[in-house]
Amino acid sequence: MSDGPPRADQPLLQVRDLRTYFPIKRGLLSRTVGYIRAVDGVSFDIHPGKTLGLVGESGCGKTTVGRSILRLTPPTSGSITYQGQNFLAFRGRELRRLRRHMQIIFQDPISSLNPRMRVGNIIGEPIQVHGLARGNEKQDMVAALLRRVGLEESDANRYPHEFSGGQRQRIGIARALALSPDFIVCDEPVSALDVSIQSQILNLLADLRQERNIAYLFIAHNLAVIEHFSDEVAVMYLGRIVEKAAARELYANPKHPYTMALLSAAPEPDPRRKTGRIVPGGEVPSAAHPPGGCPFHPRCHLTRMAAEQAQAGESTVVSVKYRGTETLVSLPVLDVGGTMEIESGGQRFRVLRKCATQTPPLEPKQGEAGHLAACWVTR
Amino acid sequence: MQPLLELRNLTVAFDTERGQIRAVQEVSLSVYPQQTLALVGESGCGKSVTALSILRLIPSPPSRVLGGQVLLEGRNLLDLPEKQMQSVRGKDIAMIFQEPMTSLNPVFTVGEQIVEAVRLHQNVNTKQAYEIAEQSMRDVGIADPDKRLHEYPHRLSGGMRQRVMIAMALSCQPKLLIADEPTTALDVTIQAQILELLRALQQQRGMSILLITHDLGVVAENADAVAVMYASRIVEYASVYDLFDAPQHPYTQGLLRAVPRLGAVGQRLAAIPGTVPNPARFPSGCKFHPRCPKMNGDPACAGVEPALRQIEQGHWASCHHLPDFANKPITRPATDAKRAEGSAVS
Amino acid sequence: MSSGAGPIYPLAVSPAEAPAEHRSYFAEVARDAVAPRSAKLALAWIACVAAMAVLAPLIANSNPCLINMDGHWSSPLLRSLNWTDLALLIVAVVGGALGCVRRKKFWPNMTLLAACLIVMSVVYGFFGPPPQNVVYEQYRDAMRQGRVQFVLHAPIPYSPSDRFRDEPDTRLLPPSRHHLLGTEAFGADVLSRMIHACRIILAMGFVASGIAVIIGVVVGGLMGYFSGIVDILGMRLIEIFEAIPTLFLMITLVAFFPSEDYRLLMLMVIIGITGWTGYARFTRAEYLSLRSRDFVQAAQAAGLPLHSVLFRHMLPNGITPVVINLSFGIAAAIIAESTLSFLQLGVIDQPSWGAMLSQATGQGGDFLWWMALFPGLAIFLTVFAYVLLGESVNDALDPRRRR
Repeated sequence: MSDGPPRADQPLLQVRDLRTYFPIKRGLLSRTVGYIRAVDGVSFDIHPGKTLGLVGESGCGKTTVGRSILRLTPPTSGSITYQGQNFLAFRGRELRRLRRHMQIIFQDPISSLNPRMRVGNIIGEPIQVHGLARGNEKQDMVAALLRRVGLEESDANRYPHEFSGGQRQRIGIARALALSPDFIVCDEPVSALDVSIQSQILNLLADLRQERNIAYLFIAHNLAVIEHFSDEVAVMYLGRIVEKAAARELYANPKHPYTMALLSAAPEPDPRRKTGRIVPGGEVPSAAHPPGGCPFHPRCHLTRMAAEQAQAGESTVVSVKYRGTETLVSLPVLDVGGTMEIESGGQRFRVLRKCATQTPPLEPKQGEAGHLAACWVTR
Repeated sequence: MQPLLELRNLTVAFDTERGQIRAVQEVSLSVYPQQTLALVGESGCGKSVTALSILRLIPSPPSRVLGGQVLLEGRNLLDLPEKQMQSVRGKDIAMIFQEPMTSLNPVFTVGEQIVEAVRLHQNVNTKQAYEIAEQSMRDVGIADPDKRLHEYPHRLSGGMRQRVMIAMALSCQPKLLIADEPTTALDVTIQAQILELLRALQQQRGMSILLITHDLGVVAENADAVAVMYASRIVEYASVYDLFDAPQHPYTQGLLRAVPRLGAVGQRLAAIPGTVPNPARFPSGCKFHPRCPKMNGDPACAGVEPALRQIEQGHWASCHHLPDFANKPITRPATDAKRAEGSAVS
Repeated sequence: MSSGAGPIYPLAVSPAEAPAEHRSYFAEVARDAVAPRSAKLALAWIACVAAMAVLAPLIANSNPCLINMDGHWSSPLLRSLNWTDLALLIVAVVGGALGCVRRKKFWPNMTLLAACLIVMSVVYGFFGPPPQNVVYEQYRDAMRQGRVQFVLHAPIPYSPSDRFRDEPDTRLLPPSRHHLLGTEAFGADVLSRMIHACRIILAMGFVASGIAVIIGVVVGGLMGYFSGIVDILGMRLIEIFEAIPTLFLMITLVAFFPSEDYRLLMLMVIIGITGWTGYARFTRAEYLSLRSRDFVQAAQAAGLPLHSVLFRHMLPNGITPVVINLSFGIAAAIIAESTLSFLQLGVIDQPSWGAMLSQATGQGGDFLWWMALFPGLAIFLTVFAYVLLGESVNDALDPRRRR
């Protein structure tokens, strides 16, 4: 396997049609009665030194994507290509050697550090196991890493519980950096931290990205954090990516109703905010029984509006008010197959038949190149 | 106008093996009728202890109220016998917590739990209590309340449980609702639903809300007035507009700059250096001075704890570096400001 | 800051300064475990029992240490020592010396030495000549006949099985100047028997619990780590073993194998192989939850080999319930042995605290207080000491509660 530096023009990591299902077991003999489709066909590329933000609500499968890429949770199917090599084909010692290049930073700074090990050992053990350094040389490396993440050299002799949450997250970052990886999965790295500490950690991660040309898969539920940190953003809903675009483009011009809802629901530190709010009704359905058709259709405001207008036969253009600006969405009524009534959250709505019966593909939308969304209405 | 709830110099301490820890020091605040006062701060700043002290829900020992008063319509709750306090809890003041998962008892149906709360405070029979429970579940937007009443908490989603908690809290028509991080454990879209529900219920019923949170976004959208707490003290107190337009305390300023905002792609965040102080080892003088950009080696910051002074009409802050700070009057912070109607439309 | 919920109570504060010297994690646990006064007292008592176990033949022995009989000198006490006695003594002496001189490689050396000596003593026990049968009566008779010019006795001049069978008037005497704790039904000195019984108590606790812990941790660890079919099979195995009524098994086997020599070993093995299920359950539960903990995933993500993940990262975090229950297990094993001996199903000839307790009701049904008090107190104190140690190890294993 080649250990050469990653080439900028080639994707560092290619994920294709990744699926991770968890069996639901019942009874004495643990019969499998169904599957939770935590990740259901996710594809993306990550380029060296770039950040892909993965955003979604709890249970949408974003954490499982991160763990599956690192094979901490074994994926059910799909392919993961790291620098042109099929990562899923590696076994045993070879796999462990390759793991060096792909690291992870966890959300919970308490449970992610072994409480029974000193910080120096937590950071130093991988260095020694991978034969990067040993003895005094290793200790020097640990000291340099600790200094880099803003801690003291002498902290190597302390136990994790002696540190505050932010400091522990710094230790977690030092551990991830110890093997000089070129790809790090950041799984909600700041959501357990105090506001005044969050920005320190985000700045540190951004500096490291620049210094060491590290690519991140940045998983978070906070849209502002994701937007701030990422080059490209993918929005996940029920195990699928529903929209993917460059960060600026996605926030300025969302094409999927779920993205619009997420953006408008996020509280902003501005008491005079006048922008309207699209609050999707109901709740995220269970991944064990996802709705047929477009998984978002029971909560979708666009398909309801479109269905109303189609019912009245008035117009083929739906107007969507989003963040103060009105977006016009043209709607070819003919090929949606009419409307139908569904029940969601105890209420009955009329939606487009196509939304309720056929799953929309993730396809390019008008606007900036590379803006993909999976929606029948905003075609 | 007479405030509904007034805290006067409340000081709460914990006795630990390593000595006394003052988790809340000289906290004064006022919640006016139909007002939402937000108490904002980071972990360990004492905001939750303040809330629990109002209802006298902190076990004592290890905690002790060292001084101050908690006045509900002029009546000091700290002097009430426990029996009367029980009727205040739930009836006059209700509370909802962050974790809807753990605040509901898993072995009873939600109906049984609401009915128990109703019958504790209202002289009604079980049948009437079930009707009240059903109505209050309908009020918080739960579909099919007659069916949901007979379900166990684990069958409900997080957002639904928080709705049930609110329904239970509001079933006895309290005058004040204390909401301790009501949306922290919820997803963004569910959070938006719950915040909107709280706003709507407040308008319908005219109750007051003491909203405890760390999220400045939640504050900006729901609060009328804001008290910022740092390391056991209130460091700034103002109406929501004054606070977000012209923050005075360097901590508030730092916090507002540190929050990532939508539409600010790729900018570097302004960070507050250092760590949130541990309640057992608060720094001397102004507790923010080790992290403060304005300190510049000023011995006053490290030596003297600044009092909360009235900087201007309806705006209090405690920082030695504010212009003419020493000559500002020390008054009890209270503002009955309300946010403009329709500022957060849906 | 979902920590906004935060603990309501201020967190315990840890010292800001780092400990000066480097020690391994378990060395620190050991240091902290014996720090409280109760643990020190418990450890002192157990050390005392251990010292008695090692030195028993030197402390309490009918054979004189030194005797000048018919003009020549001899030491019947030394000649009466068997290989087990000698091996224990050598381990204790050499170990103590090594421990004082060089600390660093103390434990590896010690383990090697002990292993060699145990092997030697076993081999010798099977193939070597039997130990000399030194009979005390000959010296007693010689003394009465005035053939002894000089004699130096052990501090307690009575052997545990030295029963004065020919002198019925020494039976069941209450404590006196000669017999500090009285004598038992066959006329043997209670104190001497109690000192010699320390060996059984220690062996019972360590061997029986050792067998149980080793089986339990291995089986439970495998079940927890691999889960799936391994877990299902393991659980059934546990259920089968838990269905075995231990006491009946022991009584039955004791009845089938009346030979005194193997009975003690058999008791230990039975307690061991029926007592591991609890440890297996604890270990399994711990490993199941540890497997998905972030730091274990981080160790896997760092490409650490399986043995490091299993033993460096998981074991120290999952061993706590086993270690805590180990001391209670030792106490339970001691009580089990005492119970059997009390029911006169345990050891017969060898001294045992439980067996002595059973003699507290004399032949005529009268209550012999010294036969109840002293062995009972010894059992109580030993069990109590192990329980205290268990509590203290429990505290020490939690780094957050360290001082």
